[in-house]
Amino acid sequence: MPETLQQVQHLQLLCSTLMLDLWKPLLPEDIRAGEDLHIRVPAPLVQEVKDSLDKLMISYRVLIPDVQKLVDQSMPRERSSHRQVSGGYVYTEYHPMEEIYQWMTQIQKNNSELVTQHFLGMTFENRTMYYLQISQPSNKPKKIIWMDCGIHAREWISPAFCQWFVKEILQNYKTDPNISRFLQNLDLYVLPVLNIDGYIYSWEEDRLWRKSRSPYENGNCYGTDLNRNFNSSWGSVGVSFDCNSDVFCGLGPESEPETRAVAQFIKSKKNDILCYLTIHSYGQLILTPYGSTNKPPSNNEELMQVAKEAAAALTGKYGTSYRVGSTASILYSNSGSSRDWAHTIGIPLSYTFELRDTGTHGFVLPADQIQPTCEETMLAVTTIIDYVDK
Amino acid sequence: NIPESGHKYYLQFSTENYRTGENAGNCLATVLYPKKKSPPVVSIKCSHTKDQKEIQEEDNRVYQRIRHQSKPITGNNIPDSYGKIEPALEPVWALAVAGSSSIMWEKSTETLGYFLAQVKSVRQWIRKDDFIEFDYTVLLHEIPTQEIISCHMRLTWLPGHPLKVKHFCAAESHGVDEGSGAESGSAAGPATEKGANF
Repeated sequence: MPETLQQVQHLQLLCSTLMLDLWKPLLPEDIRAGEDLHIRVPAPLVQEVKDSLDKLMISYRVLIPDVQKLVDQSMPRERSSHRQVSGGYVYTEYHPMEEIYQWMTQIQKNNSELVTQHFLGMTFENRTMYYLQISQPSNKPKKIIWMDCGIHAREWISPAFCQWFVKEILQNYKTDPNISRFLQNLDLYVLPVLNIDGYIYSWEEDRLWRKSRSPYENGNCYGTDLNRNFNSSWGSVGVSFDCNSDVFCGLGPESEPETRAVAQFIKSKKNDILCYLTIHSYGQLILTPYGSTNKPPSNNEELMQVAKEAAAALTGKYGTSYRVGSTASILYSNSGSSRDWAHTIGIPLSYTFELRDTGTHGFVLPADQIQPTCEETMLAVTTIIDYVDK
Repeated sequence: NIPESGHKYYLQFSTENYRTGENAGNCLATVLYPKKKSPPVVSIKCSHTKDQKEIQEEDNRVYQRIRHQSKPITGNNIPDSYGKIEPALEPVWALAVAGSSSIMWEKSTETLGYFLAQVKSVRQWIRKDDFIEFDYTVLLHEIPTQEIISCHMRLTWLPGHPLKVKHFCAAESHGVDEGSGAESGSAAGPATEKGANF
């Protein structure tokens, strides 16, 4: 606030010379002694203005330290604050399949020393399924950790997590001692979207679609629940043989091309795969085998112990609580799940993750929860990877 | 397990504010599912973290936000595909949550549970009296069938009065509106509450 006429004149000169944005009053000629003056100062000029005011012995107070930030915050969520940018890709938004395909290509291109994109198979609607292999070059034979996302179309937070996971590994493998350590012994195989046809359908037609898009009964109904289609006690419990049902298990185990693509590949590598992870939503659960029976798997104690540690690591981040247990005991009975099948063919550590939340938003998780969900889940997954590494 | 009688469950749980996640009180309940199919017998007692006055004030705020809109409120896909809810539609969503809970209360069984997946559409009916009235299509996620059940819900409310809900759920899931399911009901709201608490 200028007190004297001289100060007023100096301020008027300052404002016109530097072309400062006067907010109150609006014109330099309206500056008055004894009246408050509000100026928006562009960042590069802040120091100069402060120095001039000090020289003129005019007291001042910063009302808004960062105007741009306030503007961003008040804008609709679309592309404002919280940009997690890695080479331009925004990991805190949901992406349609087209963009995920492009992302995979870019990721391989930008990190070719570590990442390769591989063909896995074709979907029913003839789309290509790719997985990313993250592998540190070495002459040592490596064991494998497999993670797939998006087996159920509407669970959008799942593919978002797979993308986040890849980004985290690639951004930090050189600096994070943990990651660089386990990459010496382990290869990571990530399938960002397993049910591509369904995922696209959930973007274009029906946000709450779950299954694949293969037609049955002459196009009377569409889709198989891919997580009931695997060859583990197939068709026995928690399924429907009605193609209209959201848990329709298909015409037989591995009847769907997507299931076959994944199963064939995992079978071919099963001696080297130590851990199978499949990511779903919602429910905040880490689920162990089995869904089709209450009989515990042979390594149940180990499975439960590691899962509990993973859940604890997750909770440590934001306090999000997860429950741990077999699908049959804490969720409901089901057969033909990919996780059960993976365990029965010999992959010792097989888990299903159900990410946020617990029903408030369910499948339609707001994009502003992508970051915290992925950050906390990352801790759980790396806990499991660390255990496997030992 | 009570042989000959059915299954009795003893529950202890905490409740939280749907919007903020703040603890809203604790409850003790028993639920008896009789052997023959009929609605369960429920006894429940809850403690509230907010007193009646606070609850009334919040209800009034929601009510005023809705009343102060200049045109009848309509909306689709709340939240949208990205989980976003338009701030102006937030109170309308809150009412949908409360109203669909009464549908879920009636539909749930010992083996079937529900969550509100999305509000497909909403339309306000302007009334001459002070009550607010909405027509909703809500999508319920059914566990463990994983089906999405579409329900039509007519909801009427005035703060200080129990929420009045009439509903009709389609028999078929997922956009196939068969309409042969014969469920309609009106619910006066949970017995222990005087008014809807958002």
